Amino acid sequence: MSGSPSREDMLIQKIREQFPGLVKEARVVRRSRPEIVVAPEKIVEVALFLRDQLGFDHANGVSGVDYNREARFEVVYHTSSLENKETRDLVLAVKENLPRNTPKAVSLVPVWPGVENFERETFEMFGITFDGHPRLEKLFLTDNWDGPPPLRKEVRFPTD
Amino acid sequence: MAVPEKPAPVAAAEAAAMSESGAQTLTVSVGPQHSGSGHMRLIIELDGDIIVNVAPDPGYVHRGIEKICEVRNIIKSIPVIERPAIIDSSNLNHAYIKAIEELQGVEPPPRGKYLRSLLNEMNRIMSHLYWLSIYGVFVGHTTMFMWPLGDRELFIDLAEKLTGARITHSYIVPGGVRRDLPQGFAEEAVKRTLYFEKRLDEYEKIFFNNPLFSSRAKGVGVLSRREAVALGCTGPTLRGSGVDADLRKDEPYAAYPELDFDVPTRKEGDSFSRSIVRMDEMRESCKLIRQILKQIPAGPIRRRAPIVVPRGEAYSRVESARGECSFYMVGEGGDKPYRVRYITGSYRNMAAIPVLLKGGHMADMPTAWWSVDYWPVEADR
Amino acid sequence: MSAQKTSQQEDDPLAMLADSINVWVGKLSDIVKRIVDTGPVRSVVNWGRIYSLWPVNITTACCSAEFGAASGARHDLERFGVLPLGSLRQSDLIVVEGTITKKMAKRLRMIYDQMAIPRYVIAMGDCAISGGLFHDSYSIVNGAHEFLPVDVYVPGCPPRPEALEQAIIMLQEKIRKSKVYAQG
Repeated sequence: MSGSPSREDMLIQKIREQFPGLVKEARVVRRSRPEIVVAPEKIVEVALFLRDQLGFDHANGVSGVDYNREARFEVVYHTSSLENKETRDLVLAVKENLPRNTPKAVSLVPVWPGVENFERETFEMFGITFDGHPRLEKLFLTDNWDGPPPLRKEVRFPTD
Repeated sequence: MAVPEKPAPVAAAEAAAMSESGAQTLTVSVGPQHSGSGHMRLIIELDGDIIVNVAPDPGYVHRGIEKICEVRNIIKSIPVIERPAIIDSSNLNHAYIKAIEELQGVEPPPRGKYLRSLLNEMNRIMSHLYWLSIYGVFVGHTTMFMWPLGDRELFIDLAEKLTGARITHSYIVPGGVRRDLPQGFAEEAVKRTLYFEKRLDEYEKIFFNNPLFSSRAKGVGVLSRREAVALGCTGPTLRGSGVDADLRKDEPYAAYPELDFDVPTRKEGDSFSRSIVRMDEMRESCKLIRQILKQIPAGPIRRRAPIVVPRGEAYSRVESARGECSFYMVGEGGDKPYRVRYITGSYRNMAAIPVLLKGGHMADMPTAWWSVDYWPVEADR
Repeated sequence: MSAQKTSQQEDDPLAMLADSINVWVGKLSDIVKRIVDTGPVRSVVNWGRIYSLWPVNITTACCSAEFGAASGARHDLERFGVLPLGSLRQSDLIVVEGTITKKMAKRLRMIYDQMAIPRYVIAMGDCAISGGLFHDSYSIVNGAHEFLPVDVYVPGCPPRPEALEQAIIMLQEKIRKSKVYAQG
């Protein structure tokens, strides 16, 4: 739609104004689904701003993605607002890219305590470490799997 | 046959830790073989009778579904996606298919949307009834075990007439649904929901407004509004703490934009309020089922949709019985997704368990724990 | 039969008497076992076992939903005597309901080892038979028979409660025809 900017565009604008140069890419994937790509060293700052100034009071989830052909891991935090009823449907994806051979991220548990289990799972499934996580150890894979982190693309199924 | 080796015992130092007050605490393992735990283990640290700390130990039903989805085509993944909350399978199925349709740019026809909501509401009732019956096992109330399972069969029959299966429907497919309403279904369903609403009044009298249960559940396992929001809780666990968030209203999908219903919410945040929220939700679901059957438009139930996951990303979510079930899907063309991230309501609510059990008595643990309706299979995936 | 006697025992008449009593008591227990394992006594013992098969309170995976439904009002497993009651030490049946992860397999084996004899195993669901839908996953054991001696297999994903009832009946038939001391 031409004319007035959408609320997703305005949101991205606000974040860019606060962090010029730190937000590497930003786009609106589809309605209610904006996303920003942030430098890993600055993700805590951006997350605190999102929580305290823009009302993103919780995280919906944390996902790791293995882009092995591009030699990177991507960690995606999905966040939205529960207290602002009108924007409950908007889910912002905050992404960071990590080099595949040394995937070191900073934990966002101090910002959104609910991500604790999700970051643990991302650690055991991909081998991505989260600096500052209160308990970075296996969550589901204890006694289940001893091999390399199973969601990495090089771990293949017999039927694959 | 190969006998698996025993798991390592808990080290003695871990077992006798010191609590904050300096007294010695005792670490107790509850589950997975326990009449009050389900298929998961809670490692509980006790100071006398008071719970000091809880560490959930999930993974007993971890089947690697996210990885399985990367090697199966999207239709073959549907039964795999449904299995985590088998009692609420069509809601999980719906979220998965919605993500694929977003990537494909396909929308089901209106009749297909209504049929999706119909099965979703029936599953919500079936799931809450199963929760209630297992609650009967946990609190030692045999009638609370038997009656909900009996009434649940009413809806299982309807689901079987509609989809061909009791609980694993695999009904929602890209582009619509698999089958249309059989003859006589609408009258039968309306009769059953009216009967069931009368039963719900009886449940309220016998199970909830009954000191046997209410004295055990009121004030037990309190989760404040602030904690519930910060931890990212969802579903009745969140609505029992005063936040009226429900995706059917906040981000409506399928037939919900055209349907009229309330979102039950309670403020107290204890086990009793979470239970009442679920009971009221069952009432709302009965109303919704009747509305859907009255308003359902004529027309096709399915649009042609290819068995392909186009390049792109999608984040789709649905209000399942336990809360927000969300899929983050990355596609690269082909019939298999590149990445499927699957987060269920129970997995999100896992964060609340240590918080709401802390400070309570050990004897209150089953009541508080099951009021969250943490379904271990759904959390482990 | 008689062990090598020490020089002490050769001379001590009391020891010789104790020895022969031991042998006589041993023979008596053999005789009792033989009596119990014939005809009417065996039927009575097996009748008791058949109509009070108490399963352990353990759910393995999603088939537990149909086990729960089978114990419920319409299907009512209790009319077969199946009642999950109390500790696993007083249970005689373990129903492996659904997919077995490696983590759960260790615990299932521990539970089976702690159950008192006689103990029976029902493998419920395709996953407990061969791994089912999840057969190629990294954390799965492909079937209960990999680490437990299974008595009855119930196919289905999940099996209907009626299938589970038939499994109980088949197990009852199996017990009815078997010896009392088949498991020791």
